Amino acid sequence: MPRIDDRVRATAAQCRHYAMCKIDYLATGLCPSGPEKHFVTYYPQGRMDLYRGLAEGRIPVTEALVEAADTCTLCGVCDPQCHFATGLRPTSVMSALKGYVEDHRREKGPVVRTVEDEDLRNIREIVGRDWATNDPAVLWTYADDPFPLAPPQMPRYVVLPGTREEVAAIVRLAGERGLDLAIRGNGGSVFGFVFTDGVVLDMSRMRTIEFDLDNWVAAVGPGVTSFELQQEACRRGLRVNAAEPAATVCGNLVCTGTFSTWSNVYGTAADNFVDMEFVGRDGRIFRLNDKRGPNHFAFEHRVAPSPGVCTKAFVKLHPMTDDEEGLLVPFEGLDEAVRFARELGQRRIGLALAVLGAHYIATFLTPDEGLAGRVKAALPEALGINYVVFTIADRFGREAIRMMAPAVIDSSLLRLLMLGLPRLVEPRWLDLVRSYEGGLRPFEILCRPEMRPVIEAVLQPSPETISECVPEGLRPFYRELYARPEMTDMVWLNMHRIVSARMSRRKHMVAFLVYVPTDRLDVIHEVIGGFGRVAGEHGLDHDFGFLTPMDLGKRAILEYDYYIDHTDPLEKDKIARAMPVLEPWLDALAARVPGVLSLKYVFSQGCARKDGFLYRV
Amino acid sequence: MRIETGPLLEKRAARASRILVTGAAGFLGSHIAVALLRAGHRVAVLARASKGRSARDRFARLAAWFGLDERTTAALEVVEGDVLDAGWAAAESRGGLAGIDEIVHCASSTAFSERKRAEVEAANVDGLRNVLDLAVRSGCGFFHHVSTAYVAGRRTGPCREDWVEAGPFTNVYEETKARGEIMARDACRHEGLRLNVYRPTIVYGDSRTGRTLRFNALYYPVKAAVYLRDIYLTDIRERGGRKAAGLGIRLSESGGLVMPIRIEVAPAGGLNLVPVDHCVRAFMAIFEDGLDGGIYHIANPRPTRIEDLVAFGKRRFQMEGIETCGPEAFAAQPKNALEVLYDSYLEVYRPYMQDTRSFDTANAAPILGKRGLVCPVFDYEVFLRCMDYAVEADWGSKLFDR
Repeated sequence: MPRIDDRVRATAAQCRHYAMCKIDYLATGLCPSGPEKHFVTYYPQGRMDLYRGLAEGRIPVTEALVEAADTCTLCGVCDPQCHFATGLRPTSVMSALKGYVEDHRREKGPVVRTVEDEDLRNIREIVGRDWATNDPAVLWTYADDPFPLAPPQMPRYVVLPGTREEVAAIVRLAGERGLDLAIRGNGGSVFGFVFTDGVVLDMSRMRTIEFDLDNWVAAVGPGVTSFELQQEACRRGLRVNAAEPAATVCGNLVCTGTFSTWSNVYGTAADNFVDMEFVGRDGRIFRLNDKRGPNHFAFEHRVAPSPGVCTKAFVKLHPMTDDEEGLLVPFEGLDEAVRFARELGQRRIGLALAVLGAHYIATFLTPDEGLAGRVKAALPEALGINYVVFTIADRFGREAIRMMAPAVIDSSLLRLLMLGLPRLVEPRWLDLVRSYEGGLRPFEILCRPEMRPVIEAVLQPSPETISECVPEGLRPFYRELYARPEMTDMVWLNMHRIVSARMSRRKHMVAFLVYVPTDRLDVIHEVIGGFGRVAGEHGLDHDFGFLTPMDLGKRAILEYDYYIDHTDPLEKDKIARAMPVLEPWLDALAARVPGVLSLKYVFSQGCARKDGFLYRV
Repeated sequence: MRIETGPLLEKRAARASRILVTGAAGFLGSHIAVALLRAGHRVAVLARASKGRSARDRFARLAAWFGLDERTTAALEVVEGDVLDAGWAAAESRGGLAGIDEIVHCASSTAFSERKRAEVEAANVDGLRNVLDLAVRSGCGFFHHVSTAYVAGRRTGPCREDWVEAGPFTNVYEETKARGEIMARDACRHEGLRLNVYRPTIVYGDSRTGRTLRFNALYYPVKAAVYLRDIYLTDIRERGGRKAAGLGIRLSESGGLVMPIRIEVAPAGGLNLVPVDHCVRAFMAIFEDGLDGGIYHIANPRPTRIEDLVAFGKRRFQMEGIETCGPEAFAAQPKNALEVLYDSYLEVYRPYMQDTRSFDTANAAPILGKRGLVCPVFDYEVFLRCMDYAVEADWGSKLFDR
């Protein structure tokens, strides 16, 4: 039996299923076999799972596994793609998987070929032979996610429909045959919600985007990712309210209503689209705007099922102006940061808007986790920055913010900081800043325009400087990457959300999202304090994530994150004990305070009008 | 009085007095604690755990820095605690700090900035209140309060060794230290405790060795200049010097670095600097001889002119272009980036840089004079020793390396 390399196995097990290898977000090109085969099995993410599956004895060597190994060209594209977001380097796993299969062949080991049963035959009649399988290796890549509280669940079939009619036919067939259905937008779900012992529908083949500029909409197929849609919208000088880059537009809309820092102006849930098309549970196709159809615009205060399988979303397009830039307004305390963000919302100043903690700022800005840790410590301790209000604003908005804020990190200063981060945490400089006794806070000095030449001299900002923090083999790539203007452009980065994909780089992240009333600082403290307390009691790594005001600053969405090593059974125990404590506490808070609602209740009701869950009358 | 002079002297002579030093992990506090120890007194030191180090660990490190022998170190009683903790005084007076005879209160925040008001008030007012509470509860007979000459506030001319009941003050540090003195006076009067108030000016390193534990105040502007010098030297030597040239920074013919920084100074006044060795000797003299309670200035009769300090710094670190000037210079040419940086820092120190106050020593002078204690002049030799040590200790980062 071929040997498993434990170090490589550990890397494979750390795959976060973020599917960043399925989008060409760094313009490196994609893993060649992925776009051809469409099954996640043929992307680096799938191959990571295959190696882990072999190592854990979950799967045999199958035809599809051999093909997945053979179609890897070891081009190395997945290394920078994955490292940028997660810090992992999958090429070693790809290489080990290929080596395993080669050894297996050499040893003349058996290659499992599954038999087509009746259901699979019927499914293949609908979608075509290539787009449905019961190969255990493929099934395994749709059976598990890092969320440790959902154990692996092998589906019977994985099916990739190509049209809404095929979807409808599969839904009907599944109904007739009593097969459960789970819909996967992009082959990954970090919360483990989409597993079944029946049929997994992977929508990756349905990737059409049709722009209707007269009506300011893009009709988007269910396999289109947020990154791809945003990229296409940008090419036309337009913008959408985008989800995480690898998340599918339709899937994210249905599941969460899609929220982002842009929800400050673009809203969430039903604000995001003009209409949506579904295949209902009975296999019938309907539009949300059809008066005779079910009313999914209404919100129910309970965990409710989704309207069905989304086959198209008519996503709203928004205009951009050519003078938009990003700004960070630093704050020492949370209260002043929330007040400031709320005021911007109320005064309709700025577009994207969020309060970020030191953890997110450090994580998003740095391509290396070690450096992120040092930046996270330095921001509050040396610079006095515990929170920032991040915003994208046009020139009028920026002018207003400069008048309102004591200090502002504008886009050019942020570019210096981003490219000079390794020097920002250099001990001598930090010591100097830390022991600065002047009347201004250190960040106020840092932000003064006259200080720019000194900061430039100290930080030596350049693609070379920032690349120093990554492993040597990746430095040439990062040097070229950071030479691209968009990599330090807050507008581009925030629209495409590629740096926020770094949030689970430290460890797998369990994100908790809660709608809160922004005028109740006491409640916001209660929410943050509550998550912190429960995490502390259970020995979990945790941090405040972000807060974005919505609906003219009246409400906000707040994220608090727990971090776990999902491969560590002790960590699994901790989160398993913490989760049952959180639920009743949050429910009680929601019952007591208008405007508090766990996003859990919005899951699958993302088509609802936001007013239905932000307010309760 | 809780304790009469005779018994006080007898107890001290027998080295039976248990003396608590607060803030003993700090700069002046540690020096005073060590001086008391070396004089054979029975010393308990109070300090917080900090940055993952217990109070005992912090003291072990300090003891090594001071070169204390094992026997002396072993005689030291280390008490871990935070005077700001609620209920600290009540608990300690029943526990580890019951039966304290004298307290030397050094714990203090020396931050000037208004943005640190909460922290400064906590340390200098709330902390002191708790220590006084301990003094009252624990049977302490003599309270030694280390304050500052700058409780004088915004006065000009002679400042007497007398209570300062009201401001105006330059900053939160002066204000809270003045409030602290009055608080100590009232508490000690009420409870019959003897009270000495020690008022040093700006304390720097040891004038004989240059050694110090802190690199703020006098050291910071020099440290910043040296840091910038190194940054721009690297820029010139390794990267063509484009960033240096943008600010008019260049190599001089003698190989030094020309950094055009104008520092605004007033025509009169200077910086009143007292080396820690003199400060401690003065403290010990007053501790021993000032038995009836009183206020004592520990000041330098010859303040240092900023112009001299700038000249010392330029000479030691081969920096040129740093000049002192009057405010009119900035009207002709606005401040550059380096000047903005310096100005924002020096803003809080400006009242001390052009100090025209003189500190009367009617109480301190006879005690110090009797022992021939004279405050050393801050000349280039002293500056050199201090800065050599600062460089050797990498401005603090290698302080405990040896």
